[in-house]
Amino acid sequence: MVDITQIMRFDDLASKNSPIHNLEGRIKLISTVFIILVCVVSKELFIPIVLEIFLLIVLKLATLSYWDSAKRLLMLLPFGGAIIIFQPFIQPGNIIWSYSWLHITDFGLNWAILLLVRMIVSLTAIIIYSSTTPLQEMASSFRKLKMPRDLAMILSIMVRFLFLFVDELAAIRKSQKSRNFSIHGKNTPYKWRVKQVGYTIGMMFLKAYEQGERVHKSMVSRGFSDASEMFDEKKSPERSDYIFLLTIIIIVIVLEIIIFKYAGQLGYFGQNLAIN
Amino acid sequence: MLNGGINLHIPDGFIPIAQCLVYYVILIVALYFSVKWARSNLDEKRIPLLAVLAAGIFAIMSMNMPIPFGTSGHMVGGALVAIVFLAPEAAVLVFTVVLLIQALIFGDGGITALGANVLNMAIIGGFVGLYTFKGLNGTIGKYPAAGIAAWLATVIAALACAIEMGIAGTFPMNIGIPSMVLYHFFIGIIEAVLTVIVLAALDKFRPDLLAWNAGDA
Repeated sequence: MVDITQIMRFDDLASKNSPIHNLEGRIKLISTVFIILVCVVSKELFIPIVLEIFLLIVLKLATLSYWDSAKRLLMLLPFGGAIIIFQPFIQPGNIIWSYSWLHITDFGLNWAILLLVRMIVSLTAIIIYSSTTPLQEMASSFRKLKMPRDLAMILSIMVRFLFLFVDELAAIRKSQKSRNFSIHGKNTPYKWRVKQVGYTIGMMFLKAYEQGERVHKSMVSRGFSDASEMFDEKKSPERSDYIFLLTIIIIVIVLEIIIFKYAGQLGYFGQNLAIN
Repeated sequence: MLNGGINLHIPDGFIPIAQCLVYYVILIVALYFSVKWARSNLDEKRIPLLAVLAAGIFAIMSMNMPIPFGTSGHMVGGALVAIVFLAPEAAVLVFTVVLLIQALIFGDGGITALGANVLNMAIIGGFVGLYTFKGLNGTIGKYPAAGIAAWLATVIAALACAIEMGIAGTFPMNIGIPSMVLYHFFIGIIEAVLTVIVLAALDKFRPDLLAWNAGDA
């Protein structure tokens, strides 16, 4: 998993000022989910690739660094990459390359390419979203989009405490490091290291639970009850927000029409590569 | 480096949208019952408690542990949360927010695949963990029972993930099931050991936090 101490950096990035940062939270969330959805249902490369170009423009508008975003993307790729890499070898189809028992099929290769492109576009959308939206804004977007109250409250409070735990974990790690402890170090027996990790996790769990109880008490003393509601700043989407969302919808509609009418003329990009 | 958790975090694009919807329906039903459970069992304390716990689990999931064979994995904790509360519903609530934030911030697990991911790690992980624990608790004692429960929860969650990928057509089951199960056979051992250590620590320092001490077990 990605190093969670990076979460601080993401939130710093998200607090910058740009036309994309300034979009309303719900609009950003809906646009991100919409782009991912379109990508997931696309069976041709054409739509995801054009969406990726669009996202790269958005990335520029958001004044995010291409280099840093690419690095983040590369860190995330191995998650699904492991599954993608096997596809050309395991899917049935016409064999286009073989070496003893190993062979690559055309269907498998096409499917792997489609999965990779879908994944890259989805991850680009997520990288833009998380780099332009502070965690609190994410939580409040879910509340405004009518997420069930209990879940929305859990989410909002969780997000507040995330930073505390990132700090706690960093402190524990620092103190372990200052005593020359390394999870990956080979100087101590494996069993002993697992035990230490277990203690650390137990400690985190206990701290989390006790902090939860303290938070509850302090909330009750400030008037929190089962009927309490979260305060949301009344901020409705502005014209620029609607224009942004509308642009995405229009792009997708145009792309769908192009695929529907001219898929044959797009060559490989208009070809159905999906196997399911 | 391969990461043990990755195979259980299905990304976007790997499961067709119609199947994603089915998993979302399962998630919504599970959430409905979980919220109901929390309301009747945890009173108003539930919200801060589960929220801060979710933040803690988030941090715990980021601790990578080397696993023999040169890979590394991290604890998931679905069985742990279910056993602490003696309710899989707690795991569902905690993991829904954890996985949602992981998907939105880190891209770890997909948005469209959220239903499937919660199903594997929290619903299946929580249920298998808790009921294995309950079944074995009386005969072999609580710690061995918790260890086996956490191990089985990991293996069954991996099996479920392999079956979902098989149904999706993304990874044939004849290869997916044996490789996922075998891999998580080992990851599960770490999960089991860590679950037992955490439970033992909780029992020592805050026995009142464990539902089994309340006489429900």
